[in-house]
Amino acid sequence: MELRPIISAMLRNKTGAVLVALQIAIALAVVTNSVFIIEQRSEKINRPTGIDSGNLILISSYGFGANYDQRETVRRDLTMLRALPGVKAASVTNGVPISNSGSASGYRKSPSDPMPGVNGNYYDVDEQGIDAFGAKLIAGRTFQESEVQYDASVSSSFAPSVILTRDMAKALYDSENALGKPVYDSLGQAAIVVGIIDNMLGAWIGDKNPTNVIFQPRIDPGPMARYILRTEPGLALGMVDSIRTKLEELNANRAITLVRPHSVIAKNTYQPDRRMIIFLASLVGLMTAVTALGIVGLASFQVRVRTKQIGTRRAIGARRIDILRHFLLENLVLTFAGLALGTVLAFAFGQWLSSAYSLPRLSPWYVLVGIALLVLLGQLAVLAPARRATLIPPAIATRTV
Amino acid sequence: MLAYQLRMAWKSLRRTPVVSALMIGAIALGIGVCTTSLTVFHLMSRNPIEARNDVLYAVTLDNWDPNNAWDDKHPDLPPFELTYRDATALLESPIPDRHVAMYKSGFVVEAPNDRSIKPYSVIARMTTHDFFAMFAAPFQYGSGWSAGADDSAQLNVVLSKATNDKLFGGADSVGRTLRLDGREYLVAGVLKEWTPTPRFYDLNNGALTDLEDVFVPLSIGAQLELGSRGNINCWRQETLNSYKDFLGSDCVWIQFWAELRTPEKVAAFQSFIDNYVREQKKLGRFERPLNNHLRKPDEWLRVNRVVDDDNRVLVGLSFMFLMVCLLNMIGLLLAKFLGAASLAGLRRALGASRKMVFRDHIVEVGLVGFIGGVFGLGLSALGLTGVRQLYGGNFDQLTHLDLPMVAVALGVAVFAGVIAGLYPAWRVCRVQPAVHLKTQ
Repeated sequence: MELRPIISAMLRNKTGAVLVALQIAIALAVVTNSVFIIEQRSEKINRPTGIDSGNLILISSYGFGANYDQRETVRRDLTMLRALPGVKAASVTNGVPISNSGSASGYRKSPSDPMPGVNGNYYDVDEQGIDAFGAKLIAGRTFQESEVQYDASVSSSFAPSVILTRDMAKALYDSENALGKPVYDSLGQAAIVVGIIDNMLGAWIGDKNPTNVIFQPRIDPGPMARYILRTEPGLALGMVDSIRTKLEELNANRAITLVRPHSVIAKNTYQPDRRMIIFLASLVGLMTAVTALGIVGLASFQVRVRTKQIGTRRAIGARRIDILRHFLLENLVLTFAGLALGTVLAFAFGQWLSSAYSLPRLSPWYVLVGIALLVLLGQLAVLAPARRATLIPPAIATRTV
Repeated sequence: MLAYQLRMAWKSLRRTPVVSALMIGAIALGIGVCTTSLTVFHLMSRNPIEARNDVLYAVTLDNWDPNNAWDDKHPDLPPFELTYRDATALLESPIPDRHVAMYKSGFVVEAPNDRSIKPYSVIARMTTHDFFAMFAAPFQYGSGWSAGADDSAQLNVVLSKATNDKLFGGADSVGRTLRLDGREYLVAGVLKEWTPTPRFYDLNNGALTDLEDVFVPLSIGAQLELGSRGNINCWRQETLNSYKDFLGSDCVWIQFWAELRTPEKVAAFQSFIDNYVREQKKLGRFERPLNNHLRKPDEWLRVNRVVDDDNRVLVGLSFMFLMVCLLNMIGLLLAKFLGAASLAGLRRALGASRKMVFRDHIVEVGLVGFIGGVFGLGLSALGLTGVRQLYGGNFDQLTHLDLPMVAVALGVAVFAGVIAGLYPAWRVCRVQPAVHLKTQ
């Protein structure tokens, strides 16, 4: 089938064609970039955490009054928590991953290296810490009870030993084996690497190096005491209330400020990303629907104004399939014109997003898939009006002339 | 005349119900999506202290690492917070009309004479007495504490409305006491409902979180060695083995604001802080170039990037969506107007001028825009319900369509409708009467 009559027919109603092509162009730019952002966000939300997030509970206690004794409170709380049925391990901690709140410091391979060195998100835990987070030890050992430091006053002394994630070890020691080697803190104090764990996420989900995590055997001087608890699979949610009651009974000189499953904390932390996904997905849905309606609208209009011409064509021998093909092909020409412009728009928009908001550059694959889908959408949308056109009887050509 | 035109326009719309519904739907969707995203944007970018914007200044000094800027991406920015030693030094300046130094902390509160309320944790703002007057915090009972209470670290407290409701059942509790971390504090005042959103005075520790539960003199924090529950950022390699070491360190964690009512005072205070930093440079601190700022609330909200990138991207995308909706509507209008061109031709033949035909069609698209706008507002009310679900917390009271937004939305809808209708209306009024009369 020749394109020339189709194009000349379109040129008789330029405006309508231009309007639909423009819609398709903008739709391509918006849909591809939105889907690209959605894809990145869901990758971010679903990346491996490296910890047993679904079975962890974070507990926070705040002591007050002259009789409060942090060391004793921690000792009694942990004895009670570890004895609870269903609890696999429990440790003190100064925070939890994927919470957007935590502590970080600079670490170095040598005390003569310039500051700030390698930034690491640090966790102060005790001998059960690695197990309590559900992190996976891949070399060396976990902390021993004798290593765990407790200093009742503010102090910037460093722990004797540390455990690093694979990425943290790599950032400090590159391809060398970090096990048994020293790590220096910002004051030049040394600790020995006694263990390496598989990568786990740190506190800040937007961090450039979220897996630079370091564990130190240390107990906070208080009055805040935080614990991380790992339960048998599926028990965490159900244990929250009873843990709170038991801790409150154990010591009157403190308030239990938080008992929360880690899955809830992580969900809250990713809420902005989830929100963005929902907004963008709704927009993509609406955009697709409106564009499809636009195509249907234009095609219906074309069928109506060309009723007589279609009748004439049928009268001089065109088959129904020829009429159908005419409209499908016309839509194809229109769609491709729009998509050509849309491709430019999509990349321009992607470029602007990546420079203005430091997002990654739009991958061409998304545009290719977007093009394929919009071609399909166009053909489907034009199908109904085109079929109506095929039903125009040839006799109509003879009627009002 | 307009009433007649509107009636005619309505009749015309009724003639093609499907096309009319599609047009109204298109504009409603476009307006609905745009007002939803704009309302959220508007809420994020609003200045809750607009009325005092010209006299309040957030104070920042650049005491950061000479080798590494505070913010790699914006190396011109000093840290958003001050060290304790610098903040207390600036409090000594007589130049500002008022000033405030503060940080976020917390206590455990024990309810007075009420055993049913277990001791619970509250978020506290450790601050100086000018806080309430500077930031126009409204009092229900009593007032803030005196300057003397700051100087002698008297155990005074101001309660938020929520805290007073919980502990004292909403009664006037001024003069009564409550226990914070095991010590008796005297209630000096109780605030009314107050929800400055975003919390402009401390944007770095939860700009969209709820108001603090209690307000306590800053000097008590130092005396009782109360830690910060906000950000603490340190860069200098210094040994800190006590709270006193920490107070004297180069760690930044204190927010500082000054009220300066005249340009002369602004200039004077700017040179005061510059001179202060020059003096400190002699002591080996402040090794970076002079980079001290006094920023008004609106500028402060901007440099702190309260409106996050996601919001901007969404507003941009929403407007592109509106554009598609309008293109859609132009197409439908063309189809509709040209479909009824014979009617226009008849009217022209009967003596209607082009201007009249044009005007009638514009009235019709204006009506489409208006109806679309009304439906669009309905859709955005629905959208905002969804937004509230997704944001939660502080957004509950705030994500509602306000009157200006309703007016803007309807205005935009009618305007967009008319713009979309210009070309189709122009096309139809150029119809040759003769052509359309022939085939009747």
